[in-house]
Amino acid sequence: MREWIAVFRRGLAVDNPLTVLMIGLCATLAVSTKFEGALFMGMAVMFVLTMSSTIIAALRDFIPEKVRIPVFIVVIASFVTIVDLTMHAFIPTVYTFLGVWIPLIVVNCIILGRAEGFAYHNRVHLAVADGLGMGLGFAFVIVLLATIREFVGSGEIVFLGSTLVRLGDWYRGPGIALLFPGAFIIFGFMVAGAKWLNGRLESRRIQAEACATREASA
Amino acid sequence: MARMPSTPLRMILAVIITSVVSASSLAFTYQLTRDRIMEQERLAREEALREVLPQADEFVEVEDEDTLTTAQDAAGETPVEGLFDAGNGAFGVLVAPRGYGGPMRMVIGVDRDGKVTGVSIVTQNETPGLGTKIMTEPGFLDQFAGWDASDIDGAAGGFDAISGATRSSNGVRAGVLAAGHVWAALSGEGGGAER
Repeated sequence: MREWIAVFRRGLAVDNPLTVLMIGLCATLAVSTKFEGALFMGMAVMFVLTMSSTIIAALRDFIPEKVRIPVFIVVIASFVTIVDLTMHAFIPTVYTFLGVWIPLIVVNCIILGRAEGFAYHNRVHLAVADGLGMGLGFAFVIVLLATIREFVGSGEIVFLGSTLVRLGDWYRGPGIALLFPGAFIIFGFMVAGAKWLNGRLESRRIQAEACATREASA
Repeated sequence: MARMPSTPLRMILAVIITSVVSASSLAFTYQLTRDRIMEQERLAREEALREVLPQADEFVEVEDEDTLTTAQDAAGETPVEGLFDAGNGAFGVLVAPRGYGGPMRMVIGVDRDGKVTGVSIVTQNETPGLGTKIMTEPGFLDQFAGWDASDIDGAAGGFDAISGATRSSNGVRAGVLAAGHVWAALSGEGGGAER
């Protein structure tokens, strides 16, 4: 259980796919203009990542090493297509907004990277922890980025047709927040924030360890 | 358990089995969602048509190959994705001209006298806050209403683009021009859209 939690937490902070590993940025910067789109994108990635990691870990002994990449791609693409069809059927507005980025999850580095780097070499329950943790870490960062961008850029946050927050008509947001340069700038600050936070977590851990050794030796 | 060695037979089997399982699960999902997806697409289209041609009782999709080919030839580079007969010689054209962020699908209504009745955007992927002004800027889409389809290029002279969204604006303009050309080509062939 301890190991499970440790693996799960890694995706959230010290190995966050976006702010630390910096993989899968292309789709992230592209769809983070709207809170609603980012939320469903995050959920889609989390679903595909967890499911494909689980299947790949479960089948890892039956997948010969030389054909592992084709098998990974087939598994990932199946889950992506399932997400694609479901979104198209039930949330058409979000589906239209995300557009090509849903099918492109197939080639998102995070998913293939975790399949190759983690799920193929670990037991199923750990692969589930990794998928959930990495997925949640991805979703959290993309939603935060989209919330900032939508709020700063347009002065309101809309979710499925209803306005959640709205500044008055006096607000004229800097349009750059909604364009790619703005995405890079805001994301840069988020990376800095994550670095600072991870640094503090690390120093606290070292301190705790030092205390523990001192007490043990005393 | 040790990892399976990469012998040719095992490699082939692994890939075949994965593909078969994934194909069947996809076929299953497709079955489940197909009707809803088609319904959603029909609703979106219907709503857009209703917006530009509010008087029509119903919209009948034109399926005649020759008519569609003529329409596409007249529209030139702009893809014509559908033609809807609204009765009374009026019809709606679904076109997909290029905007800044890829194709923008829009419905353009033309009445029996060849006047553009309106433009309604069905799907677009323009830059939020800039390109999307084509839908929110007051008066932008309204300016197309009343353009004369028989002289659409002349009417296009009085076109006002939105500053900061020139390519999106020009995309809409291209769509309206295409619809005008389609109308001209089809009415020249014997009046209105044929069933």
